[in-house]
Amino acid sequence: MRMHTAHLWPLPILLLSLGSYLPGSAQAQDVDAVRQELGAVRRQLDSIREQYEKRLRELTERLEQLETQRQAATPAAVPAPSGAPPSPGQAVPLAAAATASPAGEPSLREMLAPRQPFALAQPGRTLLFDIGVGGDFVADFTSRTRERRRDGTFAGRENRMFPREVELGLFGRVDPYASAVVRLSAGEEAAGLEPSDRSVNVAVDEANLTLLALPLGTTARLGVMRPRFGTLNVVHQDDLPQIDRPNVLSRFFGEEQLDGEKGVEAFWVLPLPVYNELSLGAFDGDNEVAFGRGTLRDPLVIGRWRTFVELEEHGGLQIDLSAASGIAADAHRNTVLGLGAKYKWAAPGSGFPLFTVAGEALYAMRTVTTEGDDTAPPRERRLDRWGGYLYGQWDFNRRWAAGLRGDWTELAVERGREWAVSPYLQFKPSEFLRFRVQYKHSEGTGAVERVANEIFLQGTFILGAHPTERF
Amino acid sequence: MRPRRHVPALLGSALALAAAVHLALLATEPAAEPPLRVLATLPDLWSITRAIVGDLGRVEVATRPGQNPHDLEIRPSQILLVKRAEILVRNGLEEDAWIDPVVESSGNPRLLRGSASVIEAAQGLELLKIPSGRVDRSAGDVHPSGNPHFTLDPGTMPTVSASIAQGLARLRPDLGPRLEANRREFLMRVEARFQRWREMLAPYRGARVVSYHDSWPYFYRAYGLVELGVIEDRPGVPPTPQHLVSLVRQMKERGARIVVLESWYPPDTAAAVARLAGAKLVVIPQSPGAVRGTDDYIAHMEHVVTALAKALAEP
Repeated sequence: MRMHTAHLWPLPILLLSLGSYLPGSAQAQDVDAVRQELGAVRRQLDSIREQYEKRLRELTERLEQLETQRQAATPAAVPAPSGAPPSPGQAVPLAAAATASPAGEPSLREMLAPRQPFALAQPGRTLLFDIGVGGDFVADFTSRTRERRRDGTFAGRENRMFPREVELGLFGRVDPYASAVVRLSAGEEAAGLEPSDRSVNVAVDEANLTLLALPLGTTARLGVMRPRFGTLNVVHQDDLPQIDRPNVLSRFFGEEQLDGEKGVEAFWVLPLPVYNELSLGAFDGDNEVAFGRGTLRDPLVIGRWRTFVELEEHGGLQIDLSAASGIAADAHRNTVLGLGAKYKWAAPGSGFPLFTVAGEALYAMRTVTTEGDDTAPPRERRLDRWGGYLYGQWDFNRRWAAGLRGDWTELAVERGREWAVSPYLQFKPSEFLRFRVQYKHSEGTGAVERVANEIFLQGTFILGAHPTERF
Repeated sequence: MRPRRHVPALLGSALALAAAVHLALLATEPAAEPPLRVLATLPDLWSITRAIVGDLGRVEVATRPGQNPHDLEIRPSQILLVKRAEILVRNGLEEDAWIDPVVESSGNPRLLRGSASVIEAAQGLELLKIPSGRVDRSAGDVHPSGNPHFTLDPGTMPTVSASIAQGLARLRPDLGPRLEANRREFLMRVEARFQRWREMLAPYRGARVVSYHDSWPYFYRAYGLVELGVIEDRPGVPPTPQHLVSLVRQMKERGARIVVLESWYPPDTAAAVARLAGAKLVVIPQSPGAVRGTDDYIAHMEHVVTALAKALAEP
């Protein structure tokens, strides 16, 4: 029993607590107090609202005054538009709106003020130049013989997947009169005779300044660049129409083409009814296959004429003629002529299907010294070599394309010639991602005596900014 | 016969062919240049600028009517157009950013972005769909500065035409009053038609529509239509099946009546979505000139509004 009494002692406290919630005179007093408090809060809110509306009226009047002053300062001949478009369905007197004006123009003082060449960010967090990263990964599948002899299209990288080129590109305007581009690339290359001799080389592909406002409509570039020669030489690795470069370009200029030349180049678009562009450049001549002298005392001189005929609904045709002349590493002159043509037809409307046919022929004239023997001393003789390629591509739609390329070329110096045929298929899930598969059958004679069958796979991507596609 | 013997003959033939084509085209070139030489990047800006310039000069356009500006590649003929022009009218957002490398290749520094001869039509407009937060390519080929298809709302014409007329008058003050007169006349014609277009679409205010590409927010705003969704939810990237299934379900639940497809996109996906959702597919050009007789801004908008009103009127 005593135990039970001890357990009952919290009961009165609980009853008292419950009693406080029961209706009664005390509760009625509390309700009145709450009502009074609510009334006070309501009055405070009304007061705040009045202050807010008053402040809003003041700001509106101030804004109207400023707009009136601005309109008064606007010249009568310059119309001024309404700032904001109408709300949905709202009838807007458009002719009446012709008296309003767009955002103010920069003053003369602002326009004359010197500009920063670049900055990492503006207040709006916008970069003042573009950055793009491109990745180009290739896999080459071929026979054991080609791998052992290391004479596949990607020599020393047969039966491997490798980063052909990972590129960092920075480009943009330097100031109102110039633009600049810097492209750094890294890619795997065969370094020696052993299968494991490979290295990833980093190179400055391009680092040049373009002067945009020279007299007589001249545009000039100086620095490290891809010179304007032929049709495909100016195209970057990842933008090539097929996975590999055509044989004639690789045989005449090496795998890297006329890339990374240092010098100066000027070009002009002639004031004619039809597009005609002339370019002329002088370079060190660092191409190891064709022009290895590497000095401006014997410069590599490159010129190109390019024309384009717009055929409207029948497509467009581009023709280019090029010449490059310089001193090879063996101190003899080498001159290469090029003739290229490209035709494209696109269906009206969507632009697809798109049909492309293009080709290029190179003709090289170089002097070489023959080896002497007991009967005849060494003598100089001229070597004339030529080669070309032709391809057609059918873009079924924005995503899928298929094509076929044929190659025929003589070797640049050694005796021999080769031909190849390469069908390929391309898939572009988006503008920034592309996959390709290509089969290549090659047969060669002389110094390239072989029959090669290769399958290439390629994946390319672009991060960030990228230049617009060109014809 | 050695093939190299043909090389000089081939080169000669190519030169002769090019020379013949040039001479033929030279013969057709007009003798005198008009006073104003204006280049517009896109057909909509071309039609508006032409209305303002009138007979005071020649206005050319860098893209063909009906050509999708998102898939554009630079053609040398565009470089030539830039070379000839003294004033450039551009959208001002990313819709025509491809014109920058064209200008840089033209040897015409007057038209470099930032110079006084470049008119940006978007100036002063209240832009729609400016992406917020993190903006990267996971969202597709987005326009970070906002949706650039503002000319599809006739209500933007006072601002757009003022930007163009002001830019032209800044370079040619002597033509200022005549440009302004042309502009007012253009605005009056647009105003009269805009009233009629609003009346045509007034019965369908609040109607839910789906677009293939995100081209129409300004148009929908002008006429009180409600965009239920976009098939190409990430610009430039094909839609995923999951997105299409979700969109079709929403269309059924919320009664979307039409799917609007820009004429330069393939119709397959949009037609399938419309069929599955029980909606109608309306294929309309987004820019003037894609359909015969719609070179003019007003004719183009008339075509668009009529096509849409007709589709909405059908049961």
